[in-house]
Amino acid sequence: MTTSPGADQAELAEAREELRAVARDLLGKVRAPAAPDWALLASSGWLGLEVPSALDGAGATFAEVAVIAEELGRAAASGPYLGSTVLGAGTLRALAPSPDADALLRQAAAGRAVPAAVLADGGSADSGVPFRLADGPTGLRLHGQAAFVPDAAEATRLLVLARAAGDGPPVIVAADPRAAGLVVDPQPVVDETRRLAVVRADGAEVDPASVWEFAGRPEDAVRRLLDRAAVAVACDSLGLAEAMLDATVGYAKVREQFGRPVGSFQAVKHACADMLVQLRVARALTTAAVTALADAGADPAAVSAAASMAKAYATETAVEVAGKAMQLHGGIGYTWESGIHRYLKRAALNRSLFGSPAGHRRRLAARY
Amino acid sequence: MTAATAELDEFRSEVRAWCRAHVPAGWRERQTGVPDAEFVAFQQWWFAELRAAGYAVPHWPAEWGGGMPLARQVILYQELAAHDAPRLVLAFVSIHHAAATLLAAGTEEQRRRHLPAILDGEIWVQGFSEPEAGSDLASLRTTARREGGQYIVNGQKLWASGARHADWCLLLARTDQDAPKRRGISYFLLDMRSPGLDVRPIRNAVGESHFCEIFLNDVVVPAANLVGPEHAGWRVAQETLGAERGLTMLELAERLGNAGFRWLVEACARQELLGDARVADRLAAFETEISGLRALCTDLVERHESGRAGPADASVVKLYYSELLQRMTDFGTELAGLPGQTVLRKPASSGWESGAWLLDFIGSWEWTIPGGTSEIQRTIIAERGLGLPREPAA
Repeated sequence: MTTSPGADQAELAEAREELRAVARDLLGKVRAPAAPDWALLASSGWLGLEVPSALDGAGATFAEVAVIAEELGRAAASGPYLGSTVLGAGTLRALAPSPDADALLRQAAAGRAVPAAVLADGGSADSGVPFRLADGPTGLRLHGQAAFVPDAAEATRLLVLARAAGDGPPVIVAADPRAAGLVVDPQPVVDETRRLAVVRADGAEVDPASVWEFAGRPEDAVRRLLDRAAVAVACDSLGLAEAMLDATVGYAKVREQFGRPVGSFQAVKHACADMLVQLRVARALTTAAVTALADAGADPAAVSAAASMAKAYATETAVEVAGKAMQLHGGIGYTWESGIHRYLKRAALNRSLFGSPAGHRRRLAARY
Repeated sequence: MTAATAELDEFRSEVRAWCRAHVPAGWRERQTGVPDAEFVAFQQWWFAELRAAGYAVPHWPAEWGGGMPLARQVILYQELAAHDAPRLVLAFVSIHHAAATLLAAGTEEQRRRHLPAILDGEIWVQGFSEPEAGSDLASLRTTARREGGQYIVNGQKLWASGARHADWCLLLARTDQDAPKRRGISYFLLDMRSPGLDVRPIRNAVGESHFCEIFLNDVVVPAANLVGPEHAGWRVAQETLGAERGLTMLELAERLGNAGFRWLVEACARQELLGDARVADRLAAFETEISGLRALCTDLVERHESGRAGPADASVVKLYYSELLQRMTDFGTELAGLPGQTVLRKPASSGWESGAWLLDFIGSWEWTIPGGTSEIQRTIIAERGLGLPREPAA
């Protein structure tokens, strides 16, 4: 990469802020628990942000995808953006170029296909490969299982991370979710804004043409995809937690008790200040992780460390902030109608999804 | 690798080589328990070394001897910390608070008189707090009465760190008794050799005596030593201190990351505790928080430089740094166990991340109380940062 003058960086940052403003405005009109219209997301260009312009995408980077992930969190919006765009399209982008993969990426950017990545057990921070291919007399067969896979039940295509036959390198198997021997079971969770599923393959037949190889070292590519998943979830948590602080501050300014706004009481004020400090730190860490992931030349170990820090800190912070938001809203905050529960539940799910904070810290501590 | 990265890498090698050649081996041992005069001499020597290399005041404007780009400053502080270099504790107020005040609000004459003198070793102290004006600083009672071309100052200042060694003092005093309390304060430069001054050390919780009381009895300050307009001292103090916070924090955050955290990991390794899941978890949590702090500090400096800093940004960083320092030194103390209790002295010229964990832990209150307590910072963040309503007046 050649040196890019500061002006270019400033322009890119400005473009991202425009994207953020548009997304916030558009998603702000959606009343949860309704999902934003997928076609609208496609026509806004958000499904193809990272897709090269040759495939009708925007040719942007993960930094732009991260903006949308954060704004979806702020709106506690449902929809398959995480499984399909962040991870599905992200997986396709990590593959060696092939006409079939490119065609799918083009369709995904347009919203005509919804590919979901089946990477690993959503509960794990490790880059284990959950499926394996076996070459037998009846052809190539897929075996394995992954749980808590985002948006697999809504997908039109599954991008299954599997080990190539004979304990080979990790590859992606592009599978039809309705294929024989493949089962996709929805896993209802308390957070109603997300859809998770168990994907099981018990000897599902695989067309060798649908086995796609990664570009570059497969282990690095897999690790990067999992880092991407962790950071996208961190962005979601950051957005939802900021929404909770905004709502709490707004409420504390107008709700009166003892003849004055509750926000004038020091106990309430200091709790809000703590929320802001934690969010500033979470934003600093998340920005660093997003920047590292958006840089194709970054050192993989440094990317993973930044991703783990962001995931651990931002998702823990979001649970604390949403919890304080419920507390500071008083009785009204505990009602179903207030909607704060939706944020708290999503924050709790995010904290566990793609590696717990403890799991990510274990990964960090392994470097000492 | 980009040209910018290559240039920064080259600068890093340069600083490393300089550190290897100049950081005196074994200074921590030799500076532990030294008499005051030796501490001062060591500080002056180290300041001169840094100055000769162009590393003493990198954050100042180029015309006054600084002008180092922010990315280089971060590297400089990283390497000084990584090589366990002594800290400029004696010159801290001079190169940060005094310089920032002079640059932001001083006259050209005041700058010309003091900025080069600071480079030559002039030591400054801050005379803000008083016995009855701590968190409520604007209630300060020290008076400055105008008499012709001078002011006559009477009162008492407290918590003036390093006042015994100071040549000059940044002084806040009341010039209008009848105005609302924030509108009647003026900002002065006070020569510490002036007659009528009495400085008495106060022993702090760690056992050191760098905090002082300053008694002012009919002390004469020339009107030319007024900084900013008369009665506008509160505003001058607010503006300059906010801007200064990011720069002081930049170094302290790098110290925490490159020295404090490293010692924590080494201590765990020595005791074979890295395999303990709870210990490893806490270490990783501290590394994460320090990374966040470092990013916040750099961001704060950048915001100040581009005029985008929010009114509570400096408070966020101060609050977070001080409480993180406290939690980290607490953890270090816990790890150090009973043997840690036998470390009776910390090296002079080190910060509060010296590795003498219990003393550093106790010393961490020197960060959560002065410069606006954590409680005051939270109130500032809530009111100025989030726009929450002020507490009704009592």
